[in-house]
Amino acid sequence: MRFAALFGKEFRECLPWMLLAAIVLFAFGGFTLRMQAHDINPIREWSRGYSTPGTTMQASRLTFNSPLAVVGPWVFGSAIGLGLILGACQFWIPNFTRTWPFLLHRSVHRSTVLAAKLTAATVGLILAVGGIWVGLFWYACRPDVFGMPQPARIFIEGWIFITLGLVAYLGTAVSGLSEARWYTTKIFGIALAAIVIFVTAMQWSLVWALAVIAFSIALLLSQLFDTFATKEF
Amino acid sequence: MNDTVLQAKGLTKYYGNSPAVDHLDLEIPRGCICGFVGRNGAGKTTAIKLMLGLLEPTAGSSSLLGCDSSALTPAIRQRIGYVAEGHRLFRWMTIGGLERFQRAFFPKQWDDKLFGDMMEYFDLPKRKKIKHLSNGQRAQVSLALALAPNPELLIMDDPTLGLDAAIRRQFLEGMIELIMRQGRTILFSSHILGDVERVSDRIVVIDKGVLRANCSLEQFQRAIRKVVLGFSGDVPGQVDIEGLLHCKRGDKQLELTLVGADDEKVAAFAKSIRAETYNVVTMSLEDQFIEFTAPANHKRLFQWEER
Repeated sequence: MRFAALFGKEFRECLPWMLLAAIVLFAFGGFTLRMQAHDINPIREWSRGYSTPGTTMQASRLTFNSPLAVVGPWVFGSAIGLGLILGACQFWIPNFTRTWPFLLHRSVHRSTVLAAKLTAATVGLILAVGGIWVGLFWYACRPDVFGMPQPARIFIEGWIFITLGLVAYLGTAVSGLSEARWYTTKIFGIALAAIVIFVTAMQWSLVWALAVIAFSIALLLSQLFDTFATKEF
Repeated sequence: MNDTVLQAKGLTKYYGNSPAVDHLDLEIPRGCICGFVGRNGAGKTTAIKLMLGLLEPTAGSSSLLGCDSSALTPAIRQRIGYVAEGHRLFRWMTIGGLERFQRAFFPKQWDDKLFGDMMEYFDLPKRKKIKHLSNGQRAQVSLALALAPNPELLIMDDPTLGLDAAIRRQFLEGMIELIMRQGRTILFSSHILGDVERVSDRIVVIDKGVLRANCSLEQFQRAIRKVVLGFSGDVPGQVDIEGLLHCKRGDKQLELTLVGADDEKVAAFAKSIRAETYNVVTMSLEDQFIEFTAPANHKRLFQWEER
């Protein structure tokens, strides 16, 4: 009940941003996919020049070896953008609105408050970006759209982008909680997230990408829990 | 049952090189209403946050309801109500939403009727959003949220700050409502001495992070007094009496502010310096507080008349 109350508060607080991310991805991702489906995509020829049938494209170019490739930048942008905004909403804004004392004087451990925030952000990313991504993938797989099956790898790559949104969120949260100066350790969270996003986008191997993301999430989570437990509010 | 609900031992907090709270030793007995007073920047908020475990002390320790402040358990927090400075609540929530949120943390002890009655008394509809409330209304919601769980110990950080006289009175009446319930303890910081005088039975004075007084309000009021000594000749240059806070020289009179000097001592002193008359002037709590915390060599803000 207590966790549910905290989760509900966090989720409701971030809901407008989740909706915005979902609308942006749905509108722009859906629009570009539909243009592709109707063979009126002006960048299709350019895109073809980079892709070789049967191979997956370098993720740094944010395209996929599929007509779905055009949606890649939108999934990537929405996930990272939403991650940054959720991190700021949950861990930076309370510093200015000074609501930390009210929130933390609850009959729960601080770790429960943090867990509710993390859960709300993760669920938000999954629903807002993941939900639309699943919808777009399903649309592209319909026989009357492209007339060909879409590779599972494309679907996974989309989810990797969404996980990068979580990395951006955690990085923003760690920096938001830090009391140090920007030019010292405060930058750590955001810098680590930026490096991980860049490195992952350059990866050819899904396994390596997943390994880098898992490592960074573990590192940022441990830092976040430690900072939150000992921070002065 | 332990009769001390709040205890601090050598509680110290430094920000850089400056002490915000300096070796605070404090004990608050159960069932009292304690006014925690000090000037701006005296360390009241820092001390409260240290006691609630929101800040880590540089040295010393404190405990609430027998539990160390740095490790307050959820069960202990459930017994403590806290009204934070400025009544900072979630602006996007409605009063009703905030009530549901708060109630989730006090499932057994939440008093729906009390909260509803208070909202009705303050004329606040539950569908109204916090961001649309005035400062005073937010203070009322804060108080209701803190009172509805029937806390054993209520800690309020400057709850009447920025409120007008009418709202302050309503707020204090709300506090008195809680006081009527047996065994409740309230610690509230303020620099409005009238409020402290109206509801407190105990006063804790903190100045520049240092504890200056911790006694009953009656004792405090009795201890600080102003004595005016009249002379027909010259006013003596040197004044030497125990407990002297301030000494002001007039043409034919000496105005002394004393702490802990009883009638006998004053009479003996007046005789020793050949004062012809002496009068004990009644002081308000505010005057007593100002005299008690003002530095001995305090300067006037405006000094036009001396130019």
